[in-house]
Amino acid sequence: MNPENILEIKNLSVKFPVTGGLFLRKVAEIEAVDDISFDIRRGETLGLVGESGCGKSTVGKAILNILKFASPDVAIGGSLFFNSDYGEIDLLKLNRNEMRKYRKNIQMIFQDPYSSLNARLSVGQIIEEPLLYHTKMNKSERREKVAWLLDKVGLQAEQSKRYPHEFSGGQRQRIGIARALSTNPKLIIADEPVSALDVSIQAQVINLLQDLQSEFDLSVLFIAHDLSVVEHISSRIAVMYLGKIFELGIGKEIYHHPNHPYSKALLSAVPLPNPKYRDKERIILEGDVPTPLNKPSGCVFRNRCPIAKPECANFIPVLEKKTGEQYAACPYTKYDKVSA
Amino acid sequence: MSENSKNYKNPDGSNLTDSSSKIETKIEGNDNKKDVSTSIFKKRWKKFKTLKRGYYSFIIILILYALSFILPLLVNKDALIVQYEGDYYFPVFSYYAAEKFGQDIPGEANYRLLNEKFKNDDSDNWVLMPLYPYGPNQNLLDELEGSPPHPPSIGHICGTDDRARDVFARLLYGFNISLSFAILVTIVSYTIGTMVGSALGYYGGKVDIFGQRLIEIWATLPFLYTIIIVSSIVQPNFILLVFVLNLFWWIGITYYIRGEFYREKAREYVSAAVSMGAKNRTIILKHILPNSLTPIISFAPFAVVGGIASLVALDYLGFGLPPPTPSWGQLMNQGLSNINYWWLVTFPLIAMFLSLLSIVFIGEAVREAFDPKIYSRLR
Repeated sequence: MNPENILEIKNLSVKFPVTGGLFLRKVAEIEAVDDISFDIRRGETLGLVGESGCGKSTVGKAILNILKFASPDVAIGGSLFFNSDYGEIDLLKLNRNEMRKYRKNIQMIFQDPYSSLNARLSVGQIIEEPLLYHTKMNKSERREKVAWLLDKVGLQAEQSKRYPHEFSGGQRQRIGIARALSTNPKLIIADEPVSALDVSIQAQVINLLQDLQSEFDLSVLFIAHDLSVVEHISSRIAVMYLGKIFELGIGKEIYHHPNHPYSKALLSAVPLPNPKYRDKERIILEGDVPTPLNKPSGCVFRNRCPIAKPECANFIPVLEKKTGEQYAACPYTKYDKVSA
Repeated sequence: MSENSKNYKNPDGSNLTDSSSKIETKIEGNDNKKDVSTSIFKKRWKKFKTLKRGYYSFIIILILYALSFILPLLVNKDALIVQYEGDYYFPVFSYYAAEKFGQDIPGEANYRLLNEKFKNDDSDNWVLMPLYPYGPNQNLLDELEGSPPHPPSIGHICGTDDRARDVFARLLYGFNISLSFAILVTIVSYTIGTMVGSALGYYGGKVDIFGQRLIEIWATLPFLYTIIIVSSIVQPNFILLVFVLNLFWWIGITYYIRGEFYREKAREYVSAAVSMGAKNRTIILKHILPNSLTPIISFAPFAVVGGIASLVALDYLGFGLPPPTPSWGQLMNQGLSNINYWWLVTFPLIAMFLSLLSIVFIGEAVREAFDPKIYSRLR
């Protein structure tokens, strides 16, 4: 694998079984993630955007190898090559025990700052938990580290004795970030870390994440549905729809010149603060996202695509190079200069 | 609690607004460094204390139960200290024959008679009797006139039963036995039930499906028949009854714990623990279990009530503790067969009613303490 990459995702697919009947037989399959491949480079922030239910979070959880915990029957295919402290490793080949030693290299920031902290533990206990599993620090060393981490995320060391319910949403998310940072990870999966916060707090948390990223030399997979947030923080962006990656490239380029018809529609829906730009063309997609139980054949976007052709039903489009470093999974689209 | 709340004066003086404003002041006072942080348990304990009737019931039951362990020093036929011809004796702790103190009766010395004798003799010898100088199993036929049961009098405030034993002493000793039995049954059954329930809920899948079917089969065993069969083979004693009752009682709580584990397992903090590399044991004990205690804590007082009632029922039916044991059920059984002697019916019923009522009050306050809403009805 390329030493510049921290993680290489190859043909990842995740299928959840749907059970039914008296004996809970498998009656169908939901393909939450369908054969996707991308790399995360060292020190970059890769933004993963898409509508609710398109499989973004599943990708994050697959990387952390925690899907099997919640749903033991899930079928995961492909490979996830990770450049860990202990050398290259395919994370998907590891079981839960073998995975344990690599976990200090990959940590996650969760979406909901309310349910992701155990209400029965004090903040100090929450933040020191990864240290208990991955280091041999004694009590006073851990306390010191917790105080240092709390300071890094803009909280006070004295607050480590407090309990999560005594903090606001933004403060709780900072606690979650401190916990994720405690083992000096190389890769952080941020699963919609700001979507549960209000806008003023979102900016604080995003800026904190950016500062910490340069300070700790982190690679971040930033999962979000808010495009303006993703554009602000990401060096590259991947656009997902129904378990497929439709477009991948440099953040600014995708944001201003999307190639794929889905990205165009998605970006035209971003609210703009400047009224001068508001008269630009809005692309309104027709219909709803198809259920993952019954996807269209060929290109999964074809039933809503403004430029769909009859041939779209016959082949599954793959990511192909468009301009520079920009890839899109549609052969019929052109580089678009006018939008945004 | 912050200093702000101490100074807080409630304009209309109602309890309801008072406590809710206290909570608000608490949250605002977070920046105050002197302010002590509260865990959820402490918060609930604080709320529990505001529910006066449950809190006082809890205190009273706690004190009475603690006192009931030193009952031999308070209510006993044996003297605490005897000074006889220059030597000290402690009959509470050891057996002395009657001849030792110059009494002319067979067997153990009768310290009440000894006390009277020493007083009449005007000697240096003396006897220190407990507060209530009658034991639960002592036959008072020789000391009381008439035939048993004797009605309540100054000396015997609840009268005596059909074997001339003091009813008040028996009730007090019975309180300790009933409550100990109920608490032990609750602890053991909840421990087993929690372990089984958490295994079912945490591992899920086939473990859960087969485990639940086994539990359902087990639950169909009829409890009363099992007790009857067991007590027809061996004489039931305290430990055996706890064991037999626990064969069935652990089932109830497993359903709740299983459900709690299913729910909590899907929460993000558990995913976070897995992604940090926690082991199953840590996840169960450190993360999920402390968040799943609500059904245990809120059902426990009612399980204690059930335990007391079960022991009374078994004693009443004759499948309970062996005869000389002072049990409430046995007293009630006497009350039924001697229905004309009102004190044999009334006092055991009052004792049981008051104990069960105060434990129900405790349970009610515990439930309330776990409820985020404030109901004024219970205050």
